[in-house]
Amino acid sequence: MRDRFPLPSTCEGGEEGDQVSHNGTVTYTGPAVDVLIMGAGLAGLVAAWQAAAGGCRVRVVARGPGTLFWHAGCVDLLGYEASGAGEPIAAPADALRRLIQDEPSHPYARVGLEGVEAALRALQELCEAAGYPLRGDVNRNWLLPSAAGAFRPTCLAPETMVAGDLARRDPLLIVGFEGMLDFYPELVADNLAEQERPARSVRLDLPALRERRLLTPVTLARLFERADFRRDVAEALRPKLGRAARVGFPAVLGLDRALEVKRDLETRLGREVFEIPALPPSVPGMRLHAILVEAIRRAGGEVLTGMEVVRADVADGRVEAVFTEAAARLKPHRAHAFVLATGGLLGGGIVADAEGRLREVVLDLPVQGPEERLQWFRQDFLAPEGHPVYAAGLAVDGHFRPVDAGGAPIYANLFAAGTILAGEDYLRRRSLDGVALATGYAVGRRVAHIVREAAA
Amino acid sequence: MNTWPVELTLDNCIKCTICVTACPVAAVTDRFPGPKYEGPQGARFRHAGQPAPDLSVDYCSGCRVCNMVCPTGVKIAEINARARAFMVERGRFSRRTRLRNNLLARPETLGRWGHRVAPLANALLHNRWARLVAHVVLGIDRRAPLPTLAGERFTAWFRGRAAPLPAGERRVVYFHGCSTEYYEPRVGRAAVRVLEANGFEVIVPPQGCCGLPLLSNGEFGAARAYYRENVRRLVEYARQGYAIVGTSTSCTLTLKEEAPELLDIHDDDARLLAAHTFDLSEFLLALDDRGELRADMGPVPGTVLYHAPCQYRAHRLGAPSLELLRRIPELDVIESRADCCGIAGTYGFKREKYEIAMRVGRPLFDHVRESGVSLVACDSETCRWQIVHATGVQAVHPVELLAKAYGVE
Repeated sequence: MRDRFPLPSTCEGGEEGDQVSHNGTVTYTGPAVDVLIMGAGLAGLVAAWQAAAGGCRVRVVARGPGTLFWHAGCVDLLGYEASGAGEPIAAPADALRRLIQDEPSHPYARVGLEGVEAALRALQELCEAAGYPLRGDVNRNWLLPSAAGAFRPTCLAPETMVAGDLARRDPLLIVGFEGMLDFYPELVADNLAEQERPARSVRLDLPALRERRLLTPVTLARLFERADFRRDVAEALRPKLGRAARVGFPAVLGLDRALEVKRDLETRLGREVFEIPALPPSVPGMRLHAILVEAIRRAGGEVLTGMEVVRADVADGRVEAVFTEAAARLKPHRAHAFVLATGGLLGGGIVADAEGRLREVVLDLPVQGPEERLQWFRQDFLAPEGHPVYAAGLAVDGHFRPVDAGGAPIYANLFAAGTILAGEDYLRRRSLDGVALATGYAVGRRVAHIVREAAA
Repeated sequence: MNTWPVELTLDNCIKCTICVTACPVAAVTDRFPGPKYEGPQGARFRHAGQPAPDLSVDYCSGCRVCNMVCPTGVKIAEINARARAFMVERGRFSRRTRLRNNLLARPETLGRWGHRVAPLANALLHNRWARLVAHVVLGIDRRAPLPTLAGERFTAWFRGRAAPLPAGERRVVYFHGCSTEYYEPRVGRAAVRVLEANGFEVIVPPQGCCGLPLLSNGEFGAARAYYRENVRRLVEYARQGYAIVGTSTSCTLTLKEEAPELLDIHDDDARLLAAHTFDLSEFLLALDDRGELRADMGPVPGTVLYHAPCQYRAHRLGAPSLELLRRIPELDVIESRADCCGIAGTYGFKREKYEIAMRVGRPLFDHVRESGVSLVACDSETCRWQIVHATGVQAVHPVELLAKAYGVE
């Protein structure tokens, strides 16, 4: 009898020929990559970029395009003190030095101030080379307006946003567009005026805005890439400028050529122009996403979306492979090192069950944080110290490897970066992008170093 | 999350609008407002006993780009496909539209009848006046890239071959699909030869249309019949452990996932068939994993632009064909990053959708023209026809280049 051709391999489905479960079959693996990164947010993409630039063969797998599509496009390094009290931090470097001393297991303490500065500089150089400079440095925070007209402390901001600096008190004009959802120029201007920043608002209605039934941020960004649209905007705005020294738009001034769009508008208006990040999909976040993905690809890496990591194979204290969900089967990815950048409770890297127990989704790593739902929150909803659940995450060692209760690394070749790390209330302290960038950078470089050493 | 029933996933929608931003159809026309509105939002209003909301969901091309970018796992394209079927069921499409859709969605019937009168059928398919009549009367766009019936059916060639089969140590089932059978038997010939070059005896059992064209036209009843028939004919091979390998990425995706999911057929046979179905490039790389892929490829000098069809990306395997093409000596491979060529199966053939399809494909066509290549490789037949139609550049299936590299074309 002739031999049949057995399938590449099966998992969990029992013997070959048995009933195969919905995702029971495993398909080809291909040659192992050096570094497999799970998650395409800021931490994952920065880690991939650094590992690829360091000579590694890199693959990023992610469920969607990654959280940069929801991202303001700035780097919030450290906006508020841990106590939650007081004014925004003006000089993040000083605050970081204190934090590193006071909280030795904080992700920033693991990276160190020099590492943080190196990461900021590297991102600035990359964006500068892409014609989209990020302005700022570790010694001062910008105060930029939010889409609600609040003050937003941030360390690095694209050049398209910095004329919105609220340390200045010269008058602003905030522009909105008829038909654009979720951006209200009146709200921004009124709130700024209440905070002693003279501001007015105006809403534009132009025929081009009605070319499309729905005016998404991306549709507007594409419109702004057209010179005729910019001309019409400038013409409609000029009579309304009044005393305004600068003009704020929602962040839709072009996808690929934002700086050119901003400068052209400034020439036409004779005023400084700036962007205010609006609701997702966020155009400045998409610009950053495109720059990072391009850097990864240029360095020979690949970024695959629509791939959710659902399982891992481990042996002898190492991760051997992770599996992504594919049509009718699982797709294995073998690598020498694995980076977990799947995000925290908000990003989906950590989930909670009905009792409030927290679980890391890929490898079921121990999560440091409240053990049941009753401990998630403080009594006071607006407690200035924040709520414990928001600082939940993975504890790691000095190499960013997740550790067990005894502080020993669980897998020798598994690293974690970004908001999956424990010990920080990212949103309240406004440190999300800074930690993602700094830990992604540190992990990417460390992994590249380890892979190089293993090869040598 | 992917094992969730289609309708349950709509509750995962967080209204982030990323899918609307990524949708290649919504980018070029207002007739389709966007996946979020049509899919998870519209689905809340589609209930038995209530009027179906509108016809705009019919402008979803089913390319599944939305599924690929959704950060929360909503099965948007499937929700849309079911919504279209719901409208068909409710009689929301005119008789003429349904006649047209059923003609386009039955490549097997068309091929079988057309083939008997191939010279006449081909003359009609490409005759200006006949096309004008089809345009006006049926709504099949007169400019649409209709294929040409081949002189010899693939299975006729396969049965009539004088060449002895390999020793039969290893055997594999080939799923050729309708287009290989009636229009492009050269793809099937290349596939058979490449598999044989790798030491396989190739089996081509009786098989029918995978049913995808019917699924994407909302004709679920007819699709179910086709799918059931294929399961009946092929499951025995799966049960014996054979791999069922196809060269049409949309056929293999239908057997793997689309048909069982959309039609809610999750019995043991359906699962078994899905688990044993492979795209050809996926299969060859699986061989390579075990060190069993023939590595002695000869040079194929030249440059090719490779475009991964949407339906291939939806397999969620990365880009297996690209990996294979890159191994061919002296072949420079340019990777297309365009989302979609626009044709989306039968979509771009329709009078009211032809222009949309051409606009969707424009970034790809521009890339092909600007790169100056004289050859495009793409795994999906209708995509190839669309690319040739829009750019005038020749398009082949990757396996045809592999056959060249093995010296077995």
